[in-house]
Amino acid sequence: MIVAVIPALNEASRIARVIRDAKRYADAVVVVDDGSTDETATVAGREGARVIRHIQNGGAGAATMTGIEAARALDATIIITLDADGQHDPSDIPLLLKPVQEGRADIVFANRFGQRNKIPWIRRIANSLGNAVTFLSTGRWVPDSQCGFKVFGPKAVWQVDLRMSGFEFCSEIVRESVRNGWRVVDIPTRVLYSEYTLAKGQSFANGIRTAFKILLRSFLR
Amino acid sequence: MILVFFHSVKLSSYQLVVPVLAAIACVYAWNLVLRQKKTIWEAILWTIFWGFIGVIAVYPGIISYLSAVTGIADQENAVLVTFLGILSFIVFYLVIRLEELEQRHTKIVRALALREAGLEKNDR
Repeated sequence: MIVAVIPALNEASRIARVIRDAKRYADAVVVVDDGSTDETATVAGREGARVIRHIQNGGAGAATMTGIEAARALDATIIITLDADGQHDPSDIPLLLKPVQEGRADIVFANRFGQRNKIPWIRRIANSLGNAVTFLSTGRWVPDSQCGFKVFGPKAVWQVDLRMSGFEFCSEIVRESVRNGWRVVDIPTRVLYSEYTLAKGQSFANGIRTAFKILLRSFLR
Repeated sequence: MILVFFHSVKLSSYQLVVPVLAAIACVYAWNLVLRQKKTIWEAILWTIFWGFIGVIAVYPGIISYLSAVTGIADQENAVLVTFLGILSFIVFYLVIRLEELEQRHTKIVRALALREAGLEKNDR
């Protein structure tokens, strides 16, 4: 069973399309409403998604792990994680699913930098910093470690255990791949940036804070 | 034989205790690797850090360069830097404790959300 997990915070205007796109490739769609103050949960429910509501905002990592636990409860064998702002091209989902379905990978990372995407330079620098810090703390190089678009195979679905609540969970997933010996594949994907998605993404200052937390955690763990 | 070595090089008690503590920290780190709680990479970083501490304790002369660069030349400066180090450790400890509290809070929020959705935790 393939389950799409979409952590969402105040995405009422975008979430419907993302759910409709995900339903084309997944047997079930789980939306984790991470304490939204708009109609995200209502819209998601109307689109036929299974909605899990955090009573308080916990962060992207916390919402993703809640979605993964919900998917496990639904007996998922494969999990697709997607951002709720519509920045990922859903037609890339089959490409990401393929290595897992062929038994070649336990986790597949999307790589927004693997093809010619229009990505602002500040975003490129922030992601490069994220990649470098992730490599320093885990010893594994992932070309786009901070991307929310991933596919977890059966082994990863049952082994993944995220403890970090914020955006640093992306690096924690790389750490989990090292700790559990997952086979990793990365696939170049398209990214659909707009003013809206750029405004909602991580700021550079937040990226620095995230990097500090990753390093501190990895050392004192 | 080890005692003869330590006696011959005239090590202080500090120089004996710190390398032992560093060795215990390294063994602990690699034990966590065997129990799959720490990655090999993290254990290597940990070993480098504690190895450095242990070596400095036995051969304090190697940080004379650091002393020249930072200006920690007299005892007053050394005391100040030591207390800054202790304060940093306390801050790190508090950060970790706060993170643990945050994790507990997240677990409660998650459990409530899953229960409300009729999706209790499935431990297969």
